[in-house]
Amino acid sequence: MEDYKFLFKVVLVGNAGVGKTCLVRRFTQGLFPPGQGATIGVDFMIKTVEIGNEKIKLQIWDTAGQERFRSITQSYYRSAHALILVYDISCQPTFDCLTDWLREIEEYASSKVLRVLVGNKIDRDDREIPTHVGEDFAQRHNMYYLETSAKESDNVERLFMQIAAELMEQARSKELPRYDINSQNINRRTTTIGDSCCSRSS
Amino acid sequence: MGRVAISLARRYYSGGGVALTADRYPWVTRAPHLSRIEDKHVAAFERLLGPSGVITEEEQLDGYNTDWLKMVRGQSKVVLRPKTVEEVSAVMRSCSEGKLAVCPQGGNTGLVGGSVPVFDEIVLSMSLMNNIIKVDPVGGNVWCEAGCVLEAVNTHLEKFGLMMPYDLGAKGSCQVGGNVSTCAGGLRLVRYGSLNANLLGVQAVLANGDILDCMSGHRKDNTGYHLRQLFLGAEGTLGIVTGAVISCPTLPTSVSLACLGLDDFSKVLTTLRTSKRILCETLSSCEVMDDTCMDAVANKLGLKPPLGSHKFYMLVETHASNPQHDGDKMDAFLQELLACGDVEDGTVASEPSKMNALWQIRERITEALSRDGYLYKYDLSLPHEKFYEIVHVMRNRLRGVKAAKTVSGFGHVGDGNLHLNVEADAFDQEILEMCEPFIFDWTQKNGGSISAEHGIGFKKAKFMGKYAATGKASLSTMRAIKTALDPNGILNPYKVLPPA
Repeated sequence: MEDYKFLFKVVLVGNAGVGKTCLVRRFTQGLFPPGQGATIGVDFMIKTVEIGNEKIKLQIWDTAGQERFRSITQSYYRSAHALILVYDISCQPTFDCLTDWLREIEEYASSKVLRVLVGNKIDRDDREIPTHVGEDFAQRHNMYYLETSAKESDNVERLFMQIAAELMEQARSKELPRYDINSQNINRRTTTIGDSCCSRSS
Repeated sequence: MGRVAISLARRYYSGGGVALTADRYPWVTRAPHLSRIEDKHVAAFERLLGPSGVITEEEQLDGYNTDWLKMVRGQSKVVLRPKTVEEVSAVMRSCSEGKLAVCPQGGNTGLVGGSVPVFDEIVLSMSLMNNIIKVDPVGGNVWCEAGCVLEAVNTHLEKFGLMMPYDLGAKGSCQVGGNVSTCAGGLRLVRYGSLNANLLGVQAVLANGDILDCMSGHRKDNTGYHLRQLFLGAEGTLGIVTGAVISCPTLPTSVSLACLGLDDFSKVLTTLRTSKRILCETLSSCEVMDDTCMDAVANKLGLKPPLGSHKFYMLVETHASNPQHDGDKMDAFLQELLACGDVEDGTVASEPSKMNALWQIRERITEALSRDGYLYKYDLSLPHEKFYEIVHVMRNRLRGVKAAKTVSGFGHVGDGNLHLNVEADAFDQEILEMCEPFIFDWTQKNGGSISAEHGIGFKKAKFMGKYAATGKASLSTMRAIKTALDPNGILNPYKVLPPA
């Protein structure tokens, strides 16, 4: 049996070409795949991280950005604990679409989902969206904010580790009063964030 | 003899270098009571079918004489291409009178050498009988002739919101008559069941030329013996299937396909159970392939692996009627797999382009494995806990054998049906003897069947006596049926039943 304390589902969304797949690859495999083709459907993978001696499994779901590929993607938002909404700091249209993405998130994701806004591609020198504009947007919509470069590996680790830490914190604060190994808790699962997080010990 | 003579010199140089069955398998001898074809027979066939219905040119015969896997090659000198059931009937009457043996052939995609002649049997190609007769959209049935290509029927059915109940990798070439004659299984049997349930009617021409018409297509019909069932898996040894009625399920309006990476076969089995439990009524396919298969399609066909490296890959498909319901169930299924650690990574799609790319990987494994050499293929039904063990057993057994390149397994894990493959640079007698009858013995000892869905054909006929799933009485009953329907033994001889 696997030994981990927390399992969280993190879903990346945002326009096509903003670098969602590259962020995931950088974090899970330490690579920056050049010439990455458009994601079709949804790719998912597991990455186990450790925070303060606790093993945390992150399920990372990388979705297709192109509208025509988004038909059933929404089903995969619902059980997410965290949503990373990504735009490209050198491409205004990807920023302009954020409100559409938020509308979709409101409609399909859990209301308690942790939301993080990410401005990617800070390695580029043709920036179109200043940092403070991104920050303002995030603040107005009650989101965390971070700027990253998947190419240069800037802030990528930090992005996922902070999400893991925050989710663990949330899970603990909700869970502590209820977490009791002797209680009637089949499957050794306890509900934490939302209604679909599982926390295990073994 | 004249135009039908075949020179000895050509014998070894035609047929794409494939050895003649008569040379490679010297234990099989030509039935002495069967006549040899003469010019007068050819002339008679030309009168019955017209000159375009009879092929005798050597260059054109090769394709009809050689099987797709290039493991057997017959020496037929005549191919007949009837266009109607009446023409088939006239041909069979003539063959019956002249004691001429016949080998019916559909798309010639079989994997056990059932669809090509062993010696000089006349090839009866069904390709020109390719009319889709009618579709009943209310009952959900299709009436079609035997030579209809599976994919063509499927495309036609789409207009009615229906689909064929089975899907095979060979769908672009294989024909309905061959599907019936081999009781084809395929990728969706786990959901829609076998042809035993879905074949509602058969039209067949018997050895003496009589037309047996059981094409009423009733879902329920208990008037006497269920004659149509006789032709399921009979591989052309009891009659020539000329038409069929097939029960067709409704075309799904939402389809999802997940490709999963797993590192242990026990996890494949728990994933199968999880798929049945969570996807339940929407599960339409559950397939597995190992890393050797994935490497072959990637390296030899240039298909892009959809995931990182794993020991096993599974394809799990759903057919549903409501996209949200479909997506929700798939999400719950994948959540569970990731939570319990059975799956490390994967991808899921409902876009036809991506799903097709994933299916290509699974459907083109045999093509990839047989591309550069010779492929020994075994099609086994096995208890699930034994499903993959034989791959390890054969890898150990063939370790010291230089000519053996790879041993791999893939198949319909949902149905307990493994396709075991031994890949070699060329046909090698030593490998054959290491595989047979060892694999059949192992399968029998472990409670399996030596032919799950490919049939017996020529390749396994000699093993039927020892390994037929159900003992002596079943074999003698089969012989009694064969004798009653084909007293002269002219229908696809040397196939299915072992030599007496």
